[in-house]
Amino acid sequence: MSWKHAITASALSLVLMACSDHNEAENKASAQPFPATYQSHAKGDWVVRHATILTGTGEQLNNADLWVHDGKIAGIGEDLDVPEEAEEIEASGKWLTPGLIDVHSHLGVYPAPATTSHADGNEMTNPVTAEVWAEHSIWPQDPQFELARAGGVTTLQILPGSGNLIGGRGVTVKNVPSLTVQGMKFPGAPYSLKMACGENPKRVYGSRHQAPSTAMGNMAGYRAAWIDAQDYMRKWQRYEKLKQAGDESAEPPKRDLRLETLAGVLKGEILVHNHCYRADEMAQMIDLAREFGYKITAFHHAVEAYKAAPMLAKEHICAAVWADWWGFKQEAFDMVRENLAMVDAAGACGIIHSDDPTGVQHLNQEIAKAMAAGRAMGLKISRAHAIQWATLNAAKALGIDKVTGSLENGKAADIVLWSTDPFSVYAHAEKVWIDGARVYDRSAPEVNHTSDFNLAANVAQGGAR
Amino acid sequence: MNRIFRPYLAGLLAAGWLVGAQAAGTLIREVTIHWPDRAASVADVRIADGRIVDLGTSLEAMQSEEVIEGAQLHMTPGLVNSDTHLGLEEVSSLAETRDYQSDNPTITAALRVSDAFNPSSLLLLQNRIQGLTHALVLPESGGSLLAGQAAWVNLGATPDSVENPYVGMVVSLGETGQKLAGGSRAAAMALLREALEDARDYDAHRSDYVRGERRSYSLSRLDLEALTPVVRGEKPLLVRIHRAADIRQILKFAREQHIRVVLLGAEEAWLVARELADAAVPVVIDPMQNTPASFERLASRLDNAALLSRAGVRVLFTGIGWQNTHNAYLVRQAAGNAVANGMPYREALKAITVYPREVFSGHANPLEEGATADVVLWDGDPLEVTTEAIAVWVDGQRIPMRSHATELRDRYARKYHLVK
Repeated sequence: MSWKHAITASALSLVLMACSDHNEAENKASAQPFPATYQSHAKGDWVVRHATILTGTGEQLNNADLWVHDGKIAGIGEDLDVPEEAEEIEASGKWLTPGLIDVHSHLGVYPAPATTSHADGNEMTNPVTAEVWAEHSIWPQDPQFELARAGGVTTLQILPGSGNLIGGRGVTVKNVPSLTVQGMKFPGAPYSLKMACGENPKRVYGSRHQAPSTAMGNMAGYRAAWIDAQDYMRKWQRYEKLKQAGDESAEPPKRDLRLETLAGVLKGEILVHNHCYRADEMAQMIDLAREFGYKITAFHHAVEAYKAAPMLAKEHICAAVWADWWGFKQEAFDMVRENLAMVDAAGACGIIHSDDPTGVQHLNQEIAKAMAAGRAMGLKISRAHAIQWATLNAAKALGIDKVTGSLENGKAADIVLWSTDPFSVYAHAEKVWIDGARVYDRSAPEVNHTSDFNLAANVAQGGAR
Repeated sequence: MNRIFRPYLAGLLAAGWLVGAQAAGTLIREVTIHWPDRAASVADVRIADGRIVDLGTSLEAMQSEEVIEGAQLHMTPGLVNSDTHLGLEEVSSLAETRDYQSDNPTITAALRVSDAFNPSSLLLLQNRIQGLTHALVLPESGGSLLAGQAAWVNLGATPDSVENPYVGMVVSLGETGQKLAGGSRAAAMALLREALEDARDYDAHRSDYVRGERRSYSLSRLDLEALTPVVRGEKPLLVRIHRAADIRQILKFAREQHIRVVLLGAEEAWLVARELADAAVPVVIDPMQNTPASFERLASRLDNAALLSRAGVRVLFTGIGWQNTHNAYLVRQAAGNAVANGMPYREALKAITVYPREVFSGHANPLEEGATADVVLWDGDPLEVTTEAIAVWVDGQRIPMRSHATELRDRYARKYHLVK
């Protein structure tokens, strides 16, 4: 399957990893600084009864139950036998889906209020800033996280902006309240690298009379960066070889954060998420990846993905798109509302994304619109299939599909209970669980954590409510 | 004729329904009609010569008349987005295609967006095939507080698309006004007060002014002339404003100046709902805006629309977010979300059909006999996100359901054999 490819090491990287078993302590420290401290503490049993379940694996189960044990899904089906002490949640008329996943978010790095104090998403001081990590910009008190939670979003990929050719590392987080970003980081999720095609980088730097100022300048910029990364890898390889041969005097090269991240991509450890609108630019990026032996996991925004759909299917690259945004730049002019449905119909991996603090709260409506547009042109798309655009396909693109993204035994209980068909504008997420812990409940406000930022807002508003 | 009968649409269409054909007339039978002035009900509608000519039950089909079986369909007045730049921008990032804002500080109230409106904009096609028939087109404050004159347009994409070139005078207060006035909200209010008092003085002493026998004014003659209908109470001031405290100030100001105002943005309006209702001030809001996106919008919430409407405020919609121009039709999704968050269904539908017509245009009811056909046929609940528009009449014309996007879709669907 396509996405698996994305996290499988290429032939080249296998060699490199074999060489880097050495110097365990030093490598470990450099490989996993800022470790995730998030842990689920959910214990016990509960069961949701008589729901319409979209499993995220392409199935719809009617009048079915879902049993959770110690934060993991323990059973799905009709009339499940569960331990006597299990809490029962009656859900007749309601729908159950996997927690929604937004693969393109800037929550925390562009928080609300959008002040200059907090505009931390785009390190536009050099066209290549692979050395910056989005997690170091995330403000965990961003009051937008809780709004996304109320929309059923349990996992987000937070990315740097697209002002640079290579913007830095993205990070995948669980949408849980936390004082620290470490307390949100998705344990075991691979890092990503944000790259950007097209108008943004050449506009940002071109306006300063700096490279890149053209599309060809963009390409030259990426290539120069990958050449440096290859050179850096060779230096480390040479060092590892000497060490292995018992050369005690061998000096390790100085770490370079920028090249370390790029080398991580070349080794297949870091996934490339590439902002790219136009089909012809996608083809250029695919050739670029081939030149340097890395894999593109997903094209983001991908307004012209429908034009490139067979190519995306063949290359096993996902397209993460909006349902209908267009026209804000010339590269976004050729939008079709059927984009996601056409990508899907061509056999490629389609994903909805938000890139937006309002859109992230209504991802269910975005997939509903994309499904409806596809159906109107004659494509057959079930709700059970379309829900994957915001769940399992997204999990695959983030390399976390082994543990979340669908309702299957043994997977994390990242779940949304909807008041009605989630493809309806009238649907509300009623309850949201992350790893089995109830993090949002529409009918139990005491469950719903609010940011420090929001405290006393009601008082200041004159006690109006 | 220009028939674009797509094979894959065939299943949707009742026998005898010719898409895009301007036949002698169209009879839509047993369609659920969402009336502007009463509860929805099933009726027959005949549209001919650009007008709704018959509304009733068991209407007989006339010879050579197109008949649409409407049992599964819904009809509403054409949708309206009350805060857009339609016809004033093509590609947002390209300054040469943008005309809604001038940085020239000497251009203020005299700016008329209708002078720049482009009826050939591809954006009109994409929006009207989704059921948007009218829009309010606004200038934005660039070099001065006063942005200029907003227009009421239809999406017929004809040279006559501008139905009224001046339906209100746009001014930005709040953070934008503060910045333009030199760094204080109070300075912005002082500038606005001076502009209106100058306009009033000018209006009363035109001939003295022309003879050079009146004091000098803060604005040019054309600007003062443009403000005259505002100070006379004939046209509203359309005030872009967000914070509850600022809204209270503008309400007080409107009382003092005896002017009419309509609020735009108004994320914190729910905190001032009773005052707005008492003053009969309509508001144009994006009902999906609930993030504390700036310090003047900390109290944004999803039930702003519901709370305002419950208090008796006339609520009009825009949205969604900054996609309110290229995707101005998404105001329908915004209305659906308002219902999901407590606004009565009919009020939400009126917020995108009837109320904008009442506030900005004379023709409040497009669903009565004799009215120009500005109506939309839907394949389901008009506020539901999975519903599609299947036929649209704008200013009496049945529009072809084509846009840049539909042509691209069809080209690539054929190229890759995605549909039979």
